[in-house]
Amino acid sequence: MKCAFSNELLALYVEGDLPAVDAELTATHLTGCEECRQFLDQLRERQSLLKSLRQETINPSSFAGMRREVLSRICDAQQTFGWAVKIERVLMLGFRRRGYAFAGLAIAAILSVSLLAQMRHALPEPHPSGAVFEGRDTLLRPEGYRQWVFVGASIGRESFHNVYINRPAYREYAKTGTFPEGTVMVREIASSKMKKEPGLDGVYEKEFIALEASVKDSSRFDGGWGFFDFTDNDGKMKAKAQALSDGTGCRSCHEERAETDHVFTQFYPVLRSARAEL
Amino acid sequence: MEHGVDSSFLVHRALSMAGASGTEVSPEGAEVAKLVRLALGGDATAFEQIIARYERRVMTVAIRLLGTRDDAQDAAQEVFYRAFKYLHRLDPQKPVEPWLIRMTVNACRDIGRKRQKWRSTFPETTAPEAVATDRSGDPHAGLAGEQERQMVWKALDSLPEKERMAIVLRDIEGFSTSEVAAILRSSETTVRSQVSRGRLRMKELIDQMMGGLL
Repeated sequence: MKCAFSNELLALYVEGDLPAVDAELTATHLTGCEECRQFLDQLRERQSLLKSLRQETINPSSFAGMRREVLSRICDAQQTFGWAVKIERVLMLGFRRRGYAFAGLAIAAILSVSLLAQMRHALPEPHPSGAVFEGRDTLLRPEGYRQWVFVGASIGRESFHNVYINRPAYREYAKTGTFPEGTVMVREIASSKMKKEPGLDGVYEKEFIALEASVKDSSRFDGGWGFFDFTDNDGKMKAKAQALSDGTGCRSCHEERAETDHVFTQFYPVLRSARAEL
Repeated sequence: MEHGVDSSFLVHRALSMAGASGTEVSPEGAEVAKLVRLALGGDATAFEQIIARYERRVMTVAIRLLGTRDDAQDAAQEVFYRAFKYLHRLDPQKPVEPWLIRMTVNACRDIGRKRQKWRSTFPETTAPEAVATDRSGDPHAGLAGEQERQMVWKALDSLPEKERMAIVLRDIEGFSTSEVAAILRSSETTVRSQVSRGRLRMKELIDQMMGGLL
């Protein structure tokens, strides 16, 4: 196409997926651009081809076997559901009844009071393995991350990148293959030094020069992840950092190029092997 | 492997916020809620009726994401097993289908990764064998239609995982952008971007294939 108008907008306009402002902009352009109108017509044809798959049906024989298997599995499993599921089921179903709900609230109140009493002694202990925010998008520098799971190290152009993940998130990932809400990844960057001494030939870490983090929290960040840099312009470490803006390119790069949910699992055998065991 | 259902409340909330469910319960919704109550009380027949209502949708999504009937059946089995196990987490006032589709997407991801058979790694995959076009009203629809169908499947198969999921859910299954975002636990902006890229790539691929046919 010679016209420089955005094909991406046309690809959304064709099915009415654009917000009103963009749709209006696109419609105005289309009235004066024959080339884009033709492109839109072609897109429409391809879309109708794609939608023709909606008419396809599944052979009913596929359902019978599946249903039989499910029911037989359920029959066997009812006896073997873990205690956690059984307790959860009783509590959740019970709380739908008013009497149980009041009893539950009373128990919750008692537990809360005793927990708060314990927390008074525990504060202001930093959260050992998770993200602590100040306000909506300012992250306090993670503490104790060197006791987390060491995911791996990579050698950048002139520095080493050591990456850690908080333990609860690692456990969940190893169990399910999915990074849960509350996942924190920390990247500690160290300068490098080359040695050419007998027996010590190689590139080694020299000094820590930067600290970055990413946090999965869909309630705070568009796209689910926030990215943070705890190093200021003078190279000093900051106690807290505001989420980096989209302009830095962190989010788009992680979104486009990371193999698993904004995490470059393709570079970390530790994570790949955890998933391979699933 | 239960992360799909662990997040069911979040998904419900998101779908609800996204307007996927209204506050009024339809007669069908009331009937499903009754079946859920009965199934929770141990009535296997009621759960079988729930399966019967949604198995077509679940299998269709699974087969479009995984590409083979066997894998789709495994995914559907896993979805309904998880659904039974965690049925108590389902709010009877909320629609069941988005919850099941979310689990279907998760189950398909798990199966695809476990078996290293994610369809994008099989460029020669043909249209799913268990899916057949309903030609009851058109006895003459034949080779040309079949060729087009194979072409579309092949193009779909070539898309990266995220784009294919977005295209399958938005364009083939007909979910709205906000529903797709809730199902994939993503933002609407991200879904739009994936859908846009997917459509352009599909067009390009089909154009190329059609050029080859001429």
